[in-house]
Amino acid sequence: MEEDLKIGVYLCHCGVNIAGVIDMDELEEFTKTLPNVNLVRQYKFMCSDTGQSMIKDDIKEGLVNRVVVAACSPRMHEPTFRRAIESAGMNKFLFSQANIREHSSWISMKDKEGASRIAKDHIRMQVAKVSKLESLQPQKVKVTPNALVIGGGIAGINAALDLAEQNFHVYLVEKTATIGGHMAQLDKTFPTMDCSACILTPKMVDVNQHENITLMAYSEVDNVEGYVGNFKVTVRQKARYVDTEKCTGCGNCAEECPVTVPNEFDLGLSLRKAAYLPFPQAVPGYYTIDMDHCIKCGICADPSVCEPDAIRYDDKDKFVKLDIGTIIVATGFDPFDPTALKEYGYEKYDNVITSMQMERLLSSYGPTLGKPVRPSDLTAPHSIAFIQCVGSRDFHPGRGHKYCSRVCCMYAMKQARQYMEKHPDAKIYIFYMDIRAFGKGYEEFYEIASREYGIMFIRGRLSEVYEDPKDKGIWLRGEDTLLQVPVEIKVDMVVLSVGIEARDDSDKIASLLSIQKTEDGFFMEAHPKLRPVDTLTDGIFIAGVSQGPKDIPDAVAQAKGAASSAAALMAKGEVEIEPYFAVIDEAICTGCKACNSMCPFGAITFDKISGISVINPAKCKGCGTCVAACPFGAIAQNHFKEEQLDVIIRSVLKEGGVY
Amino acid sequence: MHKNLSHEEITPPEYSFYLGCVIPNRYPFVEQATRNVLNELGVRLKDMQGASCCPAPGVFRSFDIPTWLAIGARNIAIAEENNADLVTMCNGCYGTLIDVDHQLKTDEKKRTFVNNHLVKIDKKFKGSIKVKHLAEVLYMDLGMDKIRDSVTRLLGGLKCAVHYGCHLTKPSAIRPWGGETEDPRFFDELVEVIGCESTDYKDKHMCCGAGGGVRSAIKEVSLDFTRHKLEMMREAGAECIVVMCPFCMLQLDLGQIEVNSIFKDEISAPFAIPVFYYTQLLGLAMGMHPNDLGLVKHHNLKGVPPFVDQEPILSRIFKELGYDYKQLQKQSVKTES
Repeated sequence: MEEDLKIGVYLCHCGVNIAGVIDMDELEEFTKTLPNVNLVRQYKFMCSDTGQSMIKDDIKEGLVNRVVVAACSPRMHEPTFRRAIESAGMNKFLFSQANIREHSSWISMKDKEGASRIAKDHIRMQVAKVSKLESLQPQKVKVTPNALVIGGGIAGINAALDLAEQNFHVYLVEKTATIGGHMAQLDKTFPTMDCSACILTPKMVDVNQHENITLMAYSEVDNVEGYVGNFKVTVRQKARYVDTEKCTGCGNCAEECPVTVPNEFDLGLSLRKAAYLPFPQAVPGYYTIDMDHCIKCGICADPSVCEPDAIRYDDKDKFVKLDIGTIIVATGFDPFDPTALKEYGYEKYDNVITSMQMERLLSSYGPTLGKPVRPSDLTAPHSIAFIQCVGSRDFHPGRGHKYCSRVCCMYAMKQARQYMEKHPDAKIYIFYMDIRAFGKGYEEFYEIASREYGIMFIRGRLSEVYEDPKDKGIWLRGEDTLLQVPVEIKVDMVVLSVGIEARDDSDKIASLLSIQKTEDGFFMEAHPKLRPVDTLTDGIFIAGVSQGPKDIPDAVAQAKGAASSAAALMAKGEVEIEPYFAVIDEAICTGCKACNSMCPFGAITFDKISGISVINPAKCKGCGTCVAACPFGAIAQNHFKEEQLDVIIRSVLKEGGVY
Repeated sequence: MHKNLSHEEITPPEYSFYLGCVIPNRYPFVEQATRNVLNELGVRLKDMQGASCCPAPGVFRSFDIPTWLAIGARNIAIAEENNADLVTMCNGCYGTLIDVDHQLKTDEKKRTFVNNHLVKIDKKFKGSIKVKHLAEVLYMDLGMDKIRDSVTRLLGGLKCAVHYGCHLTKPSAIRPWGGETEDPRFFDELVEVIGCESTDYKDKHMCCGAGGGVRSAIKEVSLDFTRHKLEMMREAGAECIVVMCPFCMLQLDLGQIEVNSIFKDEISAPFAIPVFYYTQLLGLAMGMHPNDLGLVKHHNLKGVPPFVDQEPILSRIFKELGYDYKQLQKQSVKTES
């Protein structure tokens, strides 16, 4: 016995976002003509307290028993309106939202007539759909109080420590042999010139010693299954070929190892052994044997070299399974590789280096112990030019990225100032497009760099650089666009201020976790302003540069935000998930098992006793694959049943809509 | 209909041979050398009956695009009638013809416009062939292996300043070199494979000075470019210049005489760097006779190309290869008389 349908349609103006394009009174008149519509109301901001109260009051007074809100995207405010409806005592799944903003007034801003027609179609469809919707009960699932933090840079470290301090257990998975990330490679940090190691290394030690943190360095996330609160994560602990229980970090193995390879921590400016510790303050402090280069000579395994007997040539990767409630992704970035920009001569000319290499040259534990030299003759350069925006702010395909990398202006000035502190007579040029010194204390830093240090700022993008074969100096050619004159100057060394880009394995992470990426390659936040640390996958949060270029203060702030959001979920202990699972009609199912193998989540099993297939609602993600696969039409997916979808299509086709 | 595959395999590659203007009028021996070399490499060249000026990009495309399109399309239509891809020895012709071809293949409006004119002379642009530079035919169609195999003697490490020229590599989107404009290597490889050394010099990819109508309009500016290029080549120790464009060749050859007079106060010494078209040297390395490559100039000829005396350097190379320059010069006199 069906109850009488009383549909209430609420038209939101969204200020002028919708009402500025669409004639709302005309829309109201149209809506009133739709079947089963009991009342139509307009309001400036339907999501506001007043707007929500209008809906609640109508429900309480028995005027409506189905609700359609025509407003923004359901991505934005479906949860808001559902809460309102629920608080008025109605089942919240008897609601539907027509998106007449993103899908109508915004995209057809210049075609008011067209926008109005599209809006009518959307409302027509949602009114049709809501008339077929059924009451559903949301499922509640427990949230395991364990967090997984992927990436042990400054963002991952901060997120892990914040969660651990709130008594949640944290698994910190880091791909390389040590935590610390790119910050560990930096010498000093702008604008306060704190020594990077001095502020970072104590945090690294805290991570290692915290009772609530399990540090899994030299490990990678191998597989992720499950859903919010109940992720099953497999971590691959890569073989270090060193027994971490026994290794004391004495370093004898590295001393005796006969194999030398370029040290990636110093970006190839120094050599390391096949048995190595990335840098002296590495955490954890065990040595690792790089099997790609080890020749298995056996020297390090000799008891006279490794007294604790920690070398294990037969070590194998281990797979560890973890129960995880929430995940924070803080996988960081790759510095842009400027080799493809041939006009800058990187890798062609000895004395053209990248800013990361310069950072290592400036570092007190770098290859030159903090005394920068130019590669061709290992002398201190008398003049250096920094070239900004290498791989950034370039709209030409194949030449890097469109976005601003946000840190290069500041680090170039910082490196320039650091060098001038060591060599006050040096001449430093910075070739820039715009100086972007936007953070706290940054503009002041810039002022001092130009006024007190006498660094020469030349506005212009270089057209090319070439080497003077006689002394390996570098000629720069470009235009000073402020003076509007061509410039051609010679310097001893060039530093390319390379930008930041998404890690080369970020695609793999995105597909492992089912999270999205924005056009620029970085992970996508759920809302650019209001949900900056959430992803569209519940229970997974993002932090640091993996979400987009940012400096250290911003990365740390975002990490703390992500930790807070993850903690909120875990502290509550349970989470509601939408009951959009598929259901098998036992009367129709023939037990053909066609759906069993189709399910990507292993949610369908065959029940031998009853001879039919059964879906586990907790495992089902509502993808609908089995619905399409069933040859007998025995499977229906909650909230997306055939008649619920069919009626939408019919409503719009019958009326000859825009679509 | 089934294609006879075995027949196809033995069919020599065919091209419509587009001459342009500068080669027939100024450097006819470049045509001779190229014809002989391609013939030796097993390529069949089809002449293009009634082909005209390409027309030149600097003086036509810059001023009157419809005319430029129509004349260019007419030339391509002649190659289409030959049913063979067009090959040109000139960067300027290449710049025009590949651009016209690209525009007409991708823009229906322009194609209709052009064909409405061509129909009056019983011609039609169909878009059925490709426009190629000689460098592409050598480097890609025939391939480096084939060139390497055909070389029978190496030219003893002759230090060559390779000049690519602008239209050969730019705009990169409609060139076959994979987007490379800053540091292409194909011409250097072609020069190295015949036993020469490609001497790196500053501003290697700078314009010769002639292009864009600059030589016709403001000769002094154009020669100032040439002066700079020549200085860079001399500084790098180049013994000769190798080009694959007759207009660059003219500018770098005749240009030396002009620079020596106009800029005589600014240059440290007069320039005398001989200029060769690539196929002249390639033919030599393939064992062909210097007379078949236009490498021996009649001793009485004055005021005709090549303007910079090639004798000193050729005498040296010829000696290594077993020829005597003076003797060859006498022979060529005999043939003519």
